[in-house]
Amino acid sequence: MTLVKTKMPEIEIDHVSMYYQTGSSEVLALKDVTVDIKKGEFVSLLGPSGCGKTTLLRIMADLIQPTSGMIRIAGTTAKEARLAQKYGIVFQNPVLYDWRKVKKNITLPLEMMKVSKAEQEKRADRLLELVGLTKFKDKYPWQLSGGMQQRVAIARALAMEPEILLMDEPFSALDEFSRERLNEELLSIWSEVKNTVVFVTHSIPEAIFLSDRVFVLSPHPGRLSKVVEIPLPRPRTAEMRESPEFYQLITEIRNSFEGV
Amino acid sequence: MNLQGLLKRSAPTLVWLIGLLIIWQISSWFLLNVLQVPLAQSKLPYIHELVFTFTEYSGTLLYQASITMKSAIIGFAVGTFVGILLAIFMSSSKWIEQLAFPYLVASQMIPILGLAPIVYGIVRDDGVSRIIIAAFMTFFPVVLNTLRGLRSAEPSAVELMHSYAAKPWAVYWKLRFPQSLPSLFTGLKIAAPLSVTGAILVELMGATEGIGVIMLRNLYYGSSHAYMFWLTVIVGALLGFLSYLVISLVERLVTPWQPEFRKSGGDE
Repeated sequence: MTLVKTKMPEIEIDHVSMYYQTGSSEVLALKDVTVDIKKGEFVSLLGPSGCGKTTLLRIMADLIQPTSGMIRIAGTTAKEARLAQKYGIVFQNPVLYDWRKVKKNITLPLEMMKVSKAEQEKRADRLLELVGLTKFKDKYPWQLSGGMQQRVAIARALAMEPEILLMDEPFSALDEFSRERLNEELLSIWSEVKNTVVFVTHSIPEAIFLSDRVFVLSPHPGRLSKVVEIPLPRPRTAEMRESPEFYQLITEIRNSFEGV
Repeated sequence: MNLQGLLKRSAPTLVWLIGLLIIWQISSWFLLNVLQVPLAQSKLPYIHELVFTFTEYSGTLLYQASITMKSAIIGFAVGTFVGILLAIFMSSSKWIEQLAFPYLVASQMIPILGLAPIVYGIVRDDGVSRIIIAAFMTFFPVVLNTLRGLRSAEPSAVELMHSYAAKPWAVYWKLRFPQSLPSLFTGLKIAAPLSVTGAILVELMGATEGIGVIMLRNLYYGSSHAYMFWLTVIVGALLGFLSYLVISLVERLVTPWQPEFRKSGGDE
């Protein structure tokens, strides 16, 4: 197991294990994961289904509690971080509220906080511009394409200006073309907000293209099997996907799955 | 929507309606002149006679209808209010739901015909008992459908709220309640005509005014009042239909985002 020690970890994952009770038998979804994520880092959790990557993300989000071990986010517990609204989350599906127009969907989290109406307007307008949907602010979510809906979900997650952005396979429901374009857009958005991103995916190229580091998880039981540094320079461009380094990284990560 | 589109859409309904009226008129003539059944006009009166009687007594009919409609609307409002409150209460915990549900179902097993005189015997006021019965008939479909609606929010939509550390009232107000509106309206569309039926039913039991009262009176007077009796039945049915239409219209205004309204509502 690779242990990465840094001076200022934003997220500390400390001996986290997770059992699921299915009938009479217990399933080990995550086995003793320990790793740190630095502030401002873009990290991917990569692995096949059943490797526990989504489980790990949901534990960070305090949507489920680990059986043992704990998560510290900027020194606080995951629950405290959630109550302090330190993270924004993007799910696999956009989960937009059908009865709210695009702009009102983006301001939804701000309504839970004590944010003034004027400030809500200001932030929503800026975010709409950031994700390129200003023209669509008065549309209902179902009037948008899948990719646009997911961009609304990203804008909504960024609305409270979170220190951490948790993304659970946000582009997996999209076609390959939209996915690659959104990967590039996500990076350009991220270069402006510069927060810590934890991105769950099962796509090796997607993880490499986006991340500073890729956490490779293996299934049965779910565990952290490898941490791969991605030395590709930023800003990343579409051409990098064709570079020899990129292919080399794909091979390296793919090989780490063998013998699993 | 333009006039041409409206015509095109309502054409099948219109053709169907005219066809029905023609069959009615022919059948009426057939009963009266060919089969020569006794009291033929009570069984199926001529439409033109109905129209004639209506023009003569439209004032009375509309006034009595307004009396009935008033108690139906108040009963509907009370029933809806109680129904929504109960649904919110029941949705707050599975335990309360399990406790309350059998009683709710049992309440609907009581024959309304038997309940109406009991309620009247207690409150001794036909206006109030009309409202109570109308409310009683309204609240059940409202509870059932609202409860289902309140529970229909997707787990991920609830988790999203959870991730915002949203307070329980915020989860209700911003997610569960709007999410339940389509179901609520389904309940209201069933309940609205029922509230009219309920109001008329109590009037039949004994009241001084209302469409049910003149319905009963003209039934007693026999065949000479057959047209008026038929008109009260038709007006009663129209009131129910009207209440359904009003609720449907409100639904379109309040929840234009529902999948079934999207095609005509969108501008793309």
